[in-house]
Amino acid sequence: MGQQVNTNETQPKFKKHESPKRHLVAFVVSIILTALAFLAVIVGGTSGYVIPFIIVLGIIQAGFQLYIWMHMDQKGHELPELGIYTGLLVAIITIIAFVYWLGGY
Amino acid sequence: MAQNFTTLPDHPETATLEGKNKVLAFWLFLGGEVVLFGSLFATFIALRTSYAGGPTGAELFDLGLVAVATLLLLTSSLTSVFGVMALHRHDVAGMQKWFGITVALGVAFLGLEIYEFLHYYHMGHTMSSSAFGSAFYTLVGFHGGHVLAGVTWIALLQIQLAKKGLTVVTAPKFYLAALYWHFVDLVWVFIFTVVYLMGKVG
Repeated sequence: MGQQVNTNETQPKFKKHESPKRHLVAFVVSIILTALAFLAVIVGGTSGYVIPFIIVLGIIQAGFQLYIWMHMDQKGHELPELGIYTGLLVAIITIIAFVYWLGGY
Repeated sequence: MAQNFTTLPDHPETATLEGKNKVLAFWLFLGGEVVLFGSLFATFIALRTSYAGGPTGAELFDLGLVAVATLLLLTSSLTSVFGVMALHRHDVAGMQKWFGITVALGVAFLGLEIYEFLHYYHMGHTMSSSAFGSAFYTLVGFHGGHVLAGVTWIALLQIQLAKKGLTVVTAPKFYLAALYWHFVDLVWVFIFTVVYLMGKVG
């Protein structure tokens, strides 16, 4: 009996941090997004809409990774956000500049 | 062990100033990694149709193989999250189990990648066969190198955990290794999109 009361007390303490359900949902969503991207390529063929569509799917999936699995949605992650977005800014400028001048897309 | 369980703080990875600093510094490092991979992606996109008479992406890539590799890495990302959740429960056996599965999946991914590269090599797609080949092996190989580093890192941490137990010193290391592992998986999302799927589209 005493044992039971004890577990009831400690369980919510851990639940407060994170529950496996959240991560499983993120996993299932990632699988669905991946499957959609593969399907789009198989079904869409060489249509001009396929590439922008799969890139958007990739960006959404990256967001799930960053905010749920890497805990960027939790408090106290302002500096990590600053670090990642500064990195992304430089990366995106580089990609746009390369694609604009050298082509490939 | 029971002693450890009660004395260890709730979030052992950020319980000390050193732990906090490590997490912050690691995020800044990941920002730098974003720039590194951004540059490699920019190079690959610019050169991805420069086949120089060699095999094209559409001829080379096998989407079934890429799907299996993606599933392996995505699942390993989930198991490393479970490892961090075990860390928060101060459950050492759970950490060894989930991080062990993560390492096994990472090794399986690497095996698949080595098989894939050998297959391409026999099809005439090499580092020097075309600009596409150079850009492909640099980008995908760099990612593979990150997977190798992550697998080695986590495996070494598991040996340390077995020797020293879960403390405020070992906990931040696992947290960082899990962050790194998610980042490696995040880069793969863009590799399968930009390299393989866009390669199939043409």
